[in-house]
Amino acid sequence: MTDLATGGISPEPVTDAAPARSHMVRRLLKHRTFVIGVIGLTIIVLIALGAPLLAPHDPLTQDLANSLAPPFWGEGGSFDHPLGTDTLGRDVASRLMYGARNSLVIAFFAVLLASVLGLAAGLSAGFSRGWLDSVLMRLGDIQLAFPFILLAIVVLGVITDRNAVHLILVLGIPTWILYARVVRSRVLAEREKDYVLAAKSIGASRMRQMRRYVLPSVWMVVLVIAMLDFGFVIMVEATLSFLGFGLTPPTPSWGSILAEGRRNMIIAPWLAILPGLAIMVTVLAINITADGAADVLDPKLKMSIFRRLAQKKPANGTSTDLESEDAGSTRSEPAATKDEVEPPTLLEVRDLSVEFPLEDKVVKAVRHVSFDVHREQTLGIIGETGSGKSVLASSIIQLIDSPGRVTNGEVLFEGRDVTRIGDNEVAQLRGTKIGMIFQNPASSLNPVLSIGSQMVETIRQHQKVSPADARDMASQALLDVGIGDPQGILSQYPFQLSGGMNQRVMIALAMLAQPDLLIADEPSSALDVTTQAQVLERLRDITRQHQTSLILITHDIALVAEFADEILVMYAGQVCEVGPVRSVIDDTKHPYTKALLDSVPRAEIETGTRLQVIPGELPDPTALPPGCPFADRCGSMMNICREVNPSQVRVGPDHDVACHLWSSNKDEEKV
Amino acid sequence: MAHLLEVRDLKKYFVGRSGIFGGSAKKTVRAVDGVSFTVDQGETLGLVGESGCGKSTLVKTLLYLEVPTSGEVYYDGQRLTEKEAMRLRRRAQIVFQDPYMSLPPRMRIGDIVADPLLIHRLADRRSVRERVNQLLEDVGLQPETADQYPHQFSGGMRQRVGIARALAVQPSLVVADEAVSSLDVSVQSQILNLFKDLQERRDLTYIFVSHDLGVVKYMSHRIAVMYLGEIVELAATEELHARPLNPYTRALLSAIPSIHGAGRERIRLEGEPPDPGNPPPGCKFHPRCQIAQELCAQEAPQLKEWLPGHSVACHFALTDSGLAGGPDD
Repeated sequence: MTDLATGGISPEPVTDAAPARSHMVRRLLKHRTFVIGVIGLTIIVLIALGAPLLAPHDPLTQDLANSLAPPFWGEGGSFDHPLGTDTLGRDVASRLMYGARNSLVIAFFAVLLASVLGLAAGLSAGFSRGWLDSVLMRLGDIQLAFPFILLAIVVLGVITDRNAVHLILVLGIPTWILYARVVRSRVLAEREKDYVLAAKSIGASRMRQMRRYVLPSVWMVVLVIAMLDFGFVIMVEATLSFLGFGLTPPTPSWGSILAEGRRNMIIAPWLAILPGLAIMVTVLAINITADGAADVLDPKLKMSIFRRLAQKKPANGTSTDLESEDAGSTRSEPAATKDEVEPPTLLEVRDLSVEFPLEDKVVKAVRHVSFDVHREQTLGIIGETGSGKSVLASSIIQLIDSPGRVTNGEVLFEGRDVTRIGDNEVAQLRGTKIGMIFQNPASSLNPVLSIGSQMVETIRQHQKVSPADARDMASQALLDVGIGDPQGILSQYPFQLSGGMNQRVMIALAMLAQPDLLIADEPSSALDVTTQAQVLERLRDITRQHQTSLILITHDIALVAEFADEILVMYAGQVCEVGPVRSVIDDTKHPYTKALLDSVPRAEIETGTRLQVIPGELPDPTALPPGCPFADRCGSMMNICREVNPSQVRVGPDHDVACHLWSSNKDEEKV
Repeated sequence: MAHLLEVRDLKKYFVGRSGIFGGSAKKTVRAVDGVSFTVDQGETLGLVGESGCGKSTLVKTLLYLEVPTSGEVYYDGQRLTEKEAMRLRRRAQIVFQDPYMSLPPRMRIGDIVADPLLIHRLADRRSVRERVNQLLEDVGLQPETADQYPHQFSGGMRQRVGIARALAVQPSLVVADEAVSSLDVSVQSQILNLFKDLQERRDLTYIFVSHDLGVVKYMSHRIAVMYLGEIVELAATEELHARPLNPYTRALLSAIPSIHGAGRERIRLEGEPPDPGNPPPGCKFHPRCQIAQELCAQEAPQLKEWLPGHSVACHFALTDSGLAGGPDD
């Protein structure tokens, strides 16, 4: 029974992104396994329901003269008894049809009984917690510890005249716990969500909270368990009948037909094989239906991951190749004018595009992006959700989440194209020359290893030193990032440390290999203001000290203003504006950058003033316009903006902008 | 005239087991540890502090979404007990941080907004649709959205739905618990201005909780700064920014990055925020404080009005800022 509880059902709650009902039905119908299962099941159910019409004979009528007749394909078989007859001359086909009727009806009502009991128990246990929860769950534990089949045999053995109701009760009541456990765990997860608190806040009674708010999110799991349970109950019913504890003879059921057939296995093998086949096909149909349903109803699976991706990443299916070429090529032209004063370039990203092919569309997460990272400089990349800034960062070290891939352009690190070298070489690069820090340090560190062992391991991967020396180096590395008590930290585990401390450990770890380039993706967004400032200052100091270039990815333009030398503003997968920080912030050219600067309330803001608002929302990633993606929200929108995606033009020293306001001027100058 | 809301010595302690292996030692976390303040009709009180300082627990406790350990909450001068929470639900509402978590995923927008009206019998089945449409319009949503589900909306639009639900019962007080923190910057300003417009139109009173000092400054008339379950400074917005008297407030303000770039002197806080389950004795901030003295380790400072309308919990509130004199008592 416990296999069932874990069989393909995740106790995770259905996420809020879960689709509406009609949408779900459509997805179910698209699921091939599910459809096959449903068709099979429908045929079986129709046969069972139509038994009185379809069956060639009465299942109980004996015809001893014609006993053990073979099926029609056997020698001496006829279509009068298409599947032959048994020892008493009863028609096997008819008996199987009526048997299906009995088996399915018993299983259906047993499952109904169990699911109603289980749902009620699970809901009340999860919602009340407290003593009711304890009592119900302990009761369930006791029951799971009790051998279910034995109990059923004992109970049914006492009853001399067993009818369907007895079997339904015996099969249905004990399985409540399967439902109750999963429902309870879902309820516990759901009730922690703010929408239940919100329901409490608007004054909803506990009953209303449960019925109107929690129940709609958990009932579907009951459906999935019920389907799996259905197959299980049919098997158990067959087993009991086979052992002689099913329906009192002569009422047919698959188990009892099988048991009778077994006695004549040698002379009439079809008597045992046919009911066995019926059971197998039925249970198989049920299970693949349940499996398909679980796929669709369980948001953890592939389907919904793709859906979430599609919501996050921008897509543009309409931009033509001509425009894209425009967008990509202009950036390199003025490069020849660079003078020698500028530090040499460490990383050159040229016309890079990253796409995520999904089921029915392609998400273009990064579109023709070009930029440089100079040695010992910090480039700040800013953008909102879906701007493609994180995908851009992962493409530099070739760590794009599946199914994303680079479709255009190159990433030249010290002159080598990272997108074209082998996996081993990239891995080598990642370990030695390029380091990466993520937003959530706790999930980037190994939770079961102490900080010390993780650092020592990393050091010894790259250098041949003794463990003791490696520990000294680790200790020094922690001192470098401002950890006052490195020995104490080394012996601790990530969960014992605060977020700020973990992030400092991550920086120390990333800097151990003395990389030439460090990519920090929202390194401080999960930290508090005071900690954020400390961590970023440490990051700046240590990268300067080791002459490491830094790419700082964040949504906070003020952070970039303080900590970066250059800034790159992204919107909908494209570069809006790029250039030296002071130039971009003090002499902003792109309306989006301007709007970003004006719409964020800062500490400098005067009280009583009103924020400028960027109208509208971020563009729908599945329906980006052919022109400038910011056009609809832009105060300076012109006709051309809706039609042509602007390409980058130079507006100042190293300061480029992709906006028609400037490209038209530029063109005039050229003329 | 009575204050719209008065909170007196409110406490909320959580008792839990410590250690990952669930050892038997009970540990008490004083999430809210004796907080008192008032809010007047039509004003916005900003509540700032870093994560774990108890600001979110404080507002949930004063709305009786959590049962207070002790303390009193007065509404319009009347003391409210937990039994009278239902009356409170018509006067005070909350908007949550995460618009993806705070809307029931399988209810239509219209039903979500209608539920408070039906619960409090403010509309019958026939008139409810009209009321819902009006509410949706008030927060800048089309009436057609009523038939859609939350997953069809962006974060900003969901947050508008959350605001419409809160406004349905026509409350006087709305608590915004990090209500714009999870929104993208370009959407955040829309929601902030929506809050401001609604306040003007409906004479609403706000408690605006945020870790973002810029947001709080933009929205609030007065600001309360929290540290480890206590209010350490409370003053009018301009006053607090111009003359922060608590060393923690000063550190907090100096930590905000500025678009004007680097070069400012930043107060570096030493060490990590202490474990709220095991706070230091005396002033809870003293181990990280630059001006701490012996007294600070022994005696916890009370929140006192050192300057008119400017309360601080610090033994040396005026010592460091060069102003002489003690509290006005």
